Amino acid sequence: MDLDFSQEQDMLRETVQRLCSESAPLAVVRKMEDDPSGFSEQLWRQMGELGLIGLTLPEEYGGAGQSSVEGAILYEELGRSLAPCPHFASAVMSGGALALAGSDAQKQMWLPQIASGAAVFTPAWLEPQRGFGPQGVQLSAVRDGEHLRLNGSKRHVACAAAATRLLVLARTGNGEHDVDLLLVDPKSPGVEITQQYALAADTQYKVAFKDVRVPLADRIGAAQSGWSTWNTLMHDGIILLAAQAIGGAQRALEMTVQYAKEREQFDKPLGAFQAIAHYLADASAAVDGGTTLVYEAAWTRALGRPVDRLAPMAKLFACQTFRDVTAMAQQVYGGMGFTIECDIQLYFRRAKQLQLSWWDTRYLEELVASAVLDAGQPPRLTEDGRKTFKTPPQPVRAVRSRTELAKDLAEHANQRGRCKTYAEMH
Amino acid sequence: MNFDFSEAEKAFVQAVEQFLDQCDTPEVMDVTRENMAQLVDTPERRAFMSKCGERGWLGMGWPKEYGGNETEGVYEYLLNESLARRGAPQIGKGVGIVGKTLIRHGSDKLKREFLPKILRNEVQFAVGYTEPEAGSDAAAMALKATRDGDGWRLNGQKIFSTSAHFADWYWLGARTDPSNKHRGITLFLLHMDTPGLTVQPMPTIGDEITNSVYFDNVYVGDEYRVGELNKGFQYISEALDLERFTMFTFSPIEQRMEELCAYVVTEQCDGRPLREDLVIRQRIAQLVTQTEVARCLGLRFVAKASKGGAAPTTDSSQYKLYATELSKRIANAALDIGAPGTQLRVQTADAPMRGRPELTYRYTVIDTIGGGTSEVQKNIIARRKLGLPPNF
Ligand SMILES: Cc1cc2nc3c(=O)[nH]c(=O)nc-3n(C[C@H](O)[C@H](O)[C@H](O)COP(=O)(O)OP(=O)(O)OC[C@H]3O[C@@H](n4cnc5c(N)ncnc54)[C@H](O)[C@@H]3O)c2cc1C
Ligand SMILES: Cc1cc2nc3c(=O)[nH]c(=O)nc-3n(C[C@H](O)[C@H](O)[C@H](O)COP(=O)(O)OP(=O)(O)OC[C@H]3O[C@@H](n4cnc5c(N)ncnc54)[C@H](O)[C@@H]3O)c2cc1C
Repeated sequence: MDLDFSQEQDMLRETVQRLCSESAPLAVVRKMEDDPSGFSEQLWRQMGELGLIGLTLPEEYGGAGQSSVEGAILYEELGRSLAPCPHFASAVMSGGALALAGSDAQKQMWLPQIASGAAVFTPAWLEPQRGFGPQGVQLSAVRDGEHLRLNGSKRHVACAAAATRLLVLARTGNGEHDVDLLLVDPKSPGVEITQQYALAADTQYKVAFKDVRVPLADRIGAAQSGWSTWNTLMHDGIILLAAQAIGGAQRALEMTVQYAKEREQFDKPLGAFQAIAHYLADASAAVDGGTTLVYEAAWTRALGRPVDRLAPMAKLFACQTFRDVTAMAQQVYGGMGFTIECDIQLYFRRAKQLQLSWWDTRYLEELVASAVLDAGQPPRLTEDGRKTFKTPPQPVRAVRSRTELAKDLAEHANQRGRCKTYAEMH
Repeated sequence: MNFDFSEAEKAFVQAVEQFLDQCDTPEVMDVTRENMAQLVDTPERRAFMSKCGERGWLGMGWPKEYGGNETEGVYEYLLNESLARRGAPQIGKGVGIVGKTLIRHGSDKLKREFLPKILRNEVQFAVGYTEPEAGSDAAAMALKATRDGDGWRLNGQKIFSTSAHFADWYWLGARTDPSNKHRGITLFLLHMDTPGLTVQPMPTIGDEITNSVYFDNVYVGDEYRVGELNKGFQYISEALDLERFTMFTFSPIEQRMEELCAYVVTEQCDGRPLREDLVIRQRIAQLVTQTEVARCLGLRFVAKASKGGAAPTTDSSQYKLYATELSKRIANAALDIGAPGTQLRVQTADAPMRGRPELTYRYTVIDTIGGGTSEVQKNIIARRKLGLPPNF
C-alpha cells in the first residue's frame, strides 16, 4: 500500500496550481460571478494549451488519455481555487459521452475541438420539479422523418450562452430508460435560453425547447441507450466532483485556521478558544479522511474495478464535508464572514451548490444503500481481496444476569489471588 | 498510489488467517468481548499468544539485534486487524509500549531481562499512568517514589490499571520530583506480586474489569528504573503515540457494520423487509460511508508508519477520534434499527444480531475515553497539526 503520488502526478498538480494562481485568483472568481459566459476566457485558453481540458479524453482525439487519478488531481486543485471554467460540463460529461458512445464521425468532428477548448459543450439534463433518475427526463423527442422534434424545458444548464452544442437528455419512449442523448445547436430555431441567478452565482440557464428539430445523426449512440451512457459517465464524473469538493474543503479549512491564528478577541487568538479549536480539529479529520476516500475511488476506477459503491460514497462524503466545513468557517469568521468582502463566503456558497448538483445527498444515499443492501446476499464492504463477513462462531458462554456477571468478573480477577474477593467488595 | 496490499502482505494475511482457523476455539476467540478482546488474560489466550510468538509474530518490527525482524509496521497492523476481527487477543502493551520504549531507552539489564520474554509471550504487563487526580492530565501523576538505599519506596494510588489483576509486571510512572510537573516523573517496572501492593477490581459496564491499585511502601530496586531519572513523561508521551497506533483496530467497527447490514437485508418488520425502509436505507448509507472514511484514516497512518521516520501522531489521533466516535454512532443505530429486541443482553437466544449491539452500545462508551479522550485528541490535532495556540 502506498498513498503517495508519482512524480508525474506531483508535476501535474504543480502545473494546475500555478495556472490557477496566475489566471484564476479569487479576484477573477469574483469577476466571473453571474457573468453571462460564466468562465474566464484566458483561463480556459491556457487550460487548453496545457492539455488540461482533454486530460482524460482519448489521445487519438486530441486528449491526454490520463486516468481518473490524474483527473482527481486536476479537480482537487480546481476546487481549491474555485476556478470558474466549464470543464466538467464540456470535457468530462459531454466529451465523455462522445468518447464512450459517439460514432467515429462524431468523435472526429467534436472531440479535438472539445479537448482544445475551441468548442464548449454543456449538458441540458435537469427539469423543473424532477429528480436525478431516468424518470426525471421528460422532455419529449418525437420522431419526425429523419429528425426528432423536441418539446420541454431544462434547468441548471451551465454556460449555455457560450455553448457550441447542448447535450440534451430527451425521452423517446414510455419505458423507464427510454432516454436519448442528442447534440443540439443552441442557435436552432425554437431554442430559448434565459439566464437564472443562483446561490453560487455560477451562471446557470433555463433552456426552453419548442418544436426544435434535431437530425437523427446528432444522436449519441443507439436509440434509447442514452440513460445507460449517462449513468456510466456520472459514476466517473462524481469522483472528480468529489475531488473538487474536498479540495474546496481543504482550502476553506486552511483559510479558517489561518484566520483563527491571526484574529484576537479577549486578548487571545480565536484558535486559543477550545470551542473554536475543536471545530477545526473535527474538520481536519473529516477533510483528510474524505481526501483519501476520494483517491481510493479514483484509483479503483483507474484500475477498471467497479465503483458503484465507492464513487457515490466519495461524492456524498466530500460534498457533506465541504458544506459542513464552510458553514463552520462562517461561524469562526464571525461578523466578517457574513460580508461580501470576505473570501470565505465564496466557498460557503459554492459548497452547497456542489452538494445539490450532479446527484444530491438523497440520490447518492440511495445509490450507496442499494450497493450495500440490494445485492441479495450479505454485503461486501470492501472492493476486493479482503474478507467478507463470515458469521463468527456462536459463543458458548451462558447468559448471566448483572449480579452473576459481577461475581464472575470478581472471580476472574482473583485468579492470581491478589485481588479482593466479590464478598469483600460488597 | 496503490490502495492494495502487496502480494507479500496478502500472503502474510493468508498465513495468519490459516493459523487462526486452527486456533478458532471459543476460549481463545470471542468477538463479543469487543476491544477488550485484546487482553491476554486466560491460560487459553496465553497459550495462543505464545504460539504467535513461536511464529515470530511478536516484536516483528523490532531491530534484529533484539530478536525482531525489522518488518514494516504494516505487518503488525495486518496481524492485529486479523486478530481483532476474530475476537482473539492482540499484540499490545508488551511489544508496543514496553518493548519499544525499552529498546529506545532501557538499560542493558532490562533489555536482556524483558525483551526475550516479550517475544516468547512469557510476561504480561499492566500499564499504570492514570491516577484519581491525573486522568487526561497524565503529567499530574502524584504516586510518590522516594529514595531508599539501592531502590525506591512507592506510596499512593493508581486507577484504571487494566490487566493489573492478572499481569506479571507493572509499567508505571511515579513522581520523583514534585517541583517539576513534566520533568519530575520516572518510569519503573514493578513485579505485581511485590508486598504492599493491593489490587481492587472495578467491574465496568463493558463486562470487563479494570482495577484500582494501592501502594503501601512498595519497594522497587533502582535497576528496575526505565531510562533516565525524571524523563518518564517524555517516554510515556512517545509510548502513547505508539499505543494509539495499535490499540484501536478498525476491523471490529467494520464487522459490526457488516453484521448490521446483514440484519437489515434479512429481517422484516410488520411483514415488510427492513431494507425497504427509506429511513433505514439512509442511515445505513451514511454509516457505511463513514466506515470507509474511518478505514481511509487508518490507512493514512499505516502508509506513513510503513515508510519509517517519526510516529504519525496526528494521523493516529485523527483516526482514533473519527473511528471511535463512529463506533458509538454505529452501536446506537444498531439498537434503533433492531428495535426493542436489541435491548436483550448479549448471547440471549431471542436477541437480534446475537445481542451484540446491546453490548457494543455499552462497551463503545470507553472508546472515546481510553487512550486519550476525544477532546484530548482534538487538542493534539489543533496544536500539533493545525498549529493553533497552546493556551487551552
Ligand atoms: C450584518 C451585521 C450587523 C451588525 N450590526 C451591529 C450593530 O448594529 N451594532 C454593533 O455594535 N455591532 C454590530 N455587528 C457586530 C456583531 O455584534 C459582531 O459581529 C459579533 O459580536 C461578533 O464579533 P466579531 O464579528 O468581531 O467576531 P469575533 O468576536 O472575532 O468572533 C469570531 C469567532 O470567535 C468566537 N469567539 C470569540 N470570542 C470567543 C470566546 N471568548 N470563546 C469562544 N469563542 C469565541 C466567536 O464565537 C466567533 O465564532 C454587526 C455585525 C454584522 C455582521
Ligand atoms: C476501562 C478503562 C481502562 C483503562 N485502562 C487504563 C490503563 O490500562 N492504564 C492507564 O494508565 N489508564 C487507563 N485508563 C484510563 C484512561 O486513560 C482515562 O480514563 C482517560 O485518559 C481519561 O481520564 P479520566 O477518566 O480521568 O477523565 P478526565 O481527564 O477527568 O476527563 C473527564 C472529561 O473532561 C474532559 N477533559 C479533560 N481535560 C480536558 C482538556 N484539557 N480539554 C478539554 N476537555 C478535557 C475529557 O475529555 C472528558 O470528557 C482506562 C480507563 C478505563 C475506563
